[in-house]
Amino acid sequence: MAVTYCTRCVYPSAAATPLTFDAQGVCSGCRVAAQKQEIDWATRWSWFEETMNEYRSSSNYDVVIGVSGGKDSYYQTHVAKQLGLKPLLVTYHGNNYLEDGEYNLNRMREVFDCDHIIVRPSVDVLVRMNRIGFRLQGDMNWHGHCGIFTVPIQIAHRYKVPLILWGEHGFMDLGGMYSMNDLVEFTAKHRVEHALRGYDWHDFTDEGLDQLGRPELKEGLRAKDLLWAQYPSDEEIASLGVRGIYLSNFVDWDGHANAELMTELYGWRPAQRPFERTYRRVSNLDDMHENGIHDYLKFVKFGYGRGSDHSCKDIRSGRMTRDEGIEMVRKYDHVKPRRDLERWLEYVGMSEEEFDVTADRFRDPRVWEIVNGQWVKQNIWGGKSAYGPVAGEAAKVPA
Amino acid sequence: MLKVRLIPVLLLMNGRLVRSAGFDTHQIIGDPLHEVKRFNEWNVDELIYIDISRDGGGFEGRPDHKVGGFADVLETLEAVSETCFMPLTWGGRIRSISDMRERFSRGADKITLNTAAVDDPALITEGARIFGSQAIVVSVDVKTVDGRDQVVTRNGTHATGLSPVEWARQAADRGAGELLLQRVERDGAARGYDLDLIHAISSTVSIPVIALSGVGRFEDYAKGVAAGASAVAAANIWHFKELADRQGKSALARAGVNVRL
Repeated sequence: MAVTYCTRCVYPSAAATPLTFDAQGVCSGCRVAAQKQEIDWATRWSWFEETMNEYRSSSNYDVVIGVSGGKDSYYQTHVAKQLGLKPLLVTYHGNNYLEDGEYNLNRMREVFDCDHIIVRPSVDVLVRMNRIGFRLQGDMNWHGHCGIFTVPIQIAHRYKVPLILWGEHGFMDLGGMYSMNDLVEFTAKHRVEHALRGYDWHDFTDEGLDQLGRPELKEGLRAKDLLWAQYPSDEEIASLGVRGIYLSNFVDWDGHANAELMTELYGWRPAQRPFERTYRRVSNLDDMHENGIHDYLKFVKFGYGRGSDHSCKDIRSGRMTRDEGIEMVRKYDHVKPRRDLERWLEYVGMSEEEFDVTADRFRDPRVWEIVNGQWVKQNIWGGKSAYGPVAGEAAKVPA
Repeated sequence: MLKVRLIPVLLLMNGRLVRSAGFDTHQIIGDPLHEVKRFNEWNVDELIYIDISRDGGGFEGRPDHKVGGFADVLETLEAVSETCFMPLTWGGRIRSISDMRERFSRGADKITLNTAAVDDPALITEGARIFGSQAIVVSVDVKTVDGRDQVVTRNGTHATGLSPVEWARQAADRGAGELLLQRVERDGAARGYDLDLIHAISSTVSIPVIALSGVGRFEDYAKGVAAGASAVAAANIWHFKELADRQGKSALARAGVNVRL
């Protein structure tokens, strides 16, 4: 089945965030974005206030907010403080912060007058997880997805704060997984199935890799190395009544507007140095690889990257035309980010050849074909192009 | 007194689970197995799984995901039934006795018929004779067409002219063990069940009526029971909320409904 593209934004049908298309060829992400224009936001806000009031505590934190230190974290905290709540800020720190990101993160406890817990796993464990994640799933940042979607819930459970305030729902924002009418909440199922691609912390231990039939990936990790990655049981969640709601269901969420407002009010700082794979400077400052080789692997797998993701957001919010978006796709999606790649290879001790050979094992056959030893795919602007050679003897190496 | 059953409904489209609205808008929720595993850990009485694929039905999966793809619907059913610890009703594209047999042999405990039952009502009788009434669920989809309620088939696109009450009676007389009742306009609308419809059907037939479509809040379940449903089902809400089993059951219990807690 050939890849098709949304007629409104620039997403391909073989996207990492699953899409459906309507009769006009408009993707579910665009349809859900359009739904936002029909929402009565004043009513939504009153629902939000009602919910927050239910959870006000006389003696404890009122709400846990998982923060990366990004524009959206600032915005969530800003909203909670506006309501007079006492939030507990919680961060998973995966050891990949950009300098600007770390600056923003460390200032949160000053500018918001909040307590802030930052969980920083052992660097040695993180390096091992980077390697396993990359070799197992083509994603060195799996540890980050796991930390971000585990640590705040663990802290909420330990500190007995039942309410967690998330920002926007990523799969809903990009791919339109849910309707605005669903008022979707955080679920353990979504964490494992989508954020973690079906894997959980146990799969990264020696025992887990044996069970997966991938003993060659073992790094000596044990359950005790991954305590921060272990999600509470249903019984623990039920006994406290832990609940995670998304602020984007209750306010007309706009990442750009958040960035501008947070810069103005709190001196929040975008990336000072341009990214190699996107034009946008206000996203993913908490992890350099998110806009770097993590995202390059999305191009290797599915044939698109942050140039597409960010264009889709900007097209939907009216900041960009589709043609301008296509130009961004053309400029950024295929770029192999040298600066970022070299940091990672040194960090985990891997050769570029192994990186390329491993990455090639994750090429999606709906997207890629080999022509004369080159990876070839269709372009959104028409025709096909070659995007570099098949790595090493990859074509002959069994997956 | 019999306990009221709480039943999640999963909709499979081209190999993946979808959220549905109005029978015509679909959003991909995930792979065919994850949610089933989750239901095993939860307090769920039964599972209804309906294949609503318009074409193909397979999904290749992704090399970076733990759960891979399945070549076709029957292979999916096999994996679902191996995963699922609760009674499983399977529906979609069942047109003959041999289609039914194929589903049972791959692990379905009951099958549900929609289009085929209307096209060939004798199939209900024949199915019940061979597999028992308890294994045959007739799914009745209702929509207002030309100003009156009609039974619709073919994923809600084809108006049959049949009156819902008349058709429900006929399906029961022909040997259906249960009816699965849907109101197309309420699918994904989260406005609650069509209580008048549930009442009209359940007071006409003596077999159990499973109410479906419209649940937006857990409190909606009990209203369906009060209107006469023997079991309450929902699809979408199971995808959006944590511990949807406990929340649903406790809402039912709070309303005085006898459920397995």
